[in-house]
Amino acid sequence: MQAGGVIEKYAIGGAVGATLYLEPAATLDVDIFVTVPTIPGSLLLSLAPLYDYLKARGGTVKDEHIVVGGWPVQFLPTRNELEREAVAESVATEVEGVITWVMSPEHLVAVALTTGRSKDHIRILQFIEQDAVDGNRLRSILDRHELTQKWKQFEIKYLEGINE
Amino acid sequence: MSKQEMRKRLASLSFSEKVKILEKLRDRSLALAASGLRRKSAGDARKKANKSSKG
Repeated sequence: MQAGGVIEKYAIGGAVGATLYLEPAATLDVDIFVTVPTIPGSLLLSLAPLYDYLKARGGTVKDEHIVVGGWPVQFLPTRNELEREAVAESVATEVEGVITWVMSPEHLVAVALTTGRSKDHIRILQFIEQDAVDGNRLRSILDRHELTQKWKQFEIKYLEGINE
Repeated sequence: MSKQEMRKRLASLSFSEKVKILEKLRDRSLALAASGLRRKSAGDARKKANKSSKG
């Protein structure tokens, strides 16, 4: 897709992305964050070329997902600087011999913090419990994207007394 | 093997191996959802809770 110019860069996020660093946890879909080229002469981004590309290769559209290789995949165009940085600084890994890009653990935590659902908070706690994040790198990302206050609230709610 | 050791062992698997486990977990979740077992057990739990709060 990158070679075909359909997307610029991508990174797997969400539960599947977190699985690179944590024990596998049940999930029904794959979240892929993408930077897509803008339409010439327009500020709009379109996922249509991406869907057309995958449909031509056997993908089927189901609600907000496109099913590829048995996985419902949700393509999420990056919405802010944090997500763009998470894609740009993603980590290369291999799945069955294919190079695959996954968000760094610190970016996964920062994105989960901004999403803020219960399951995102649980995932952040898993990263902390399993010592899977670099604290300095996380703090630097949180500072850069003005998430320090949100992180403090998270710490008060979930982490106070954890080391007692 | 303790639960913690098991979690560490699972976390240290390669991404390819983990993806295979994710596929199994996903298929199991879908099978459970399709069988209605989850709805039934949630309904049973609700009935039980109602019964104990009345009793």
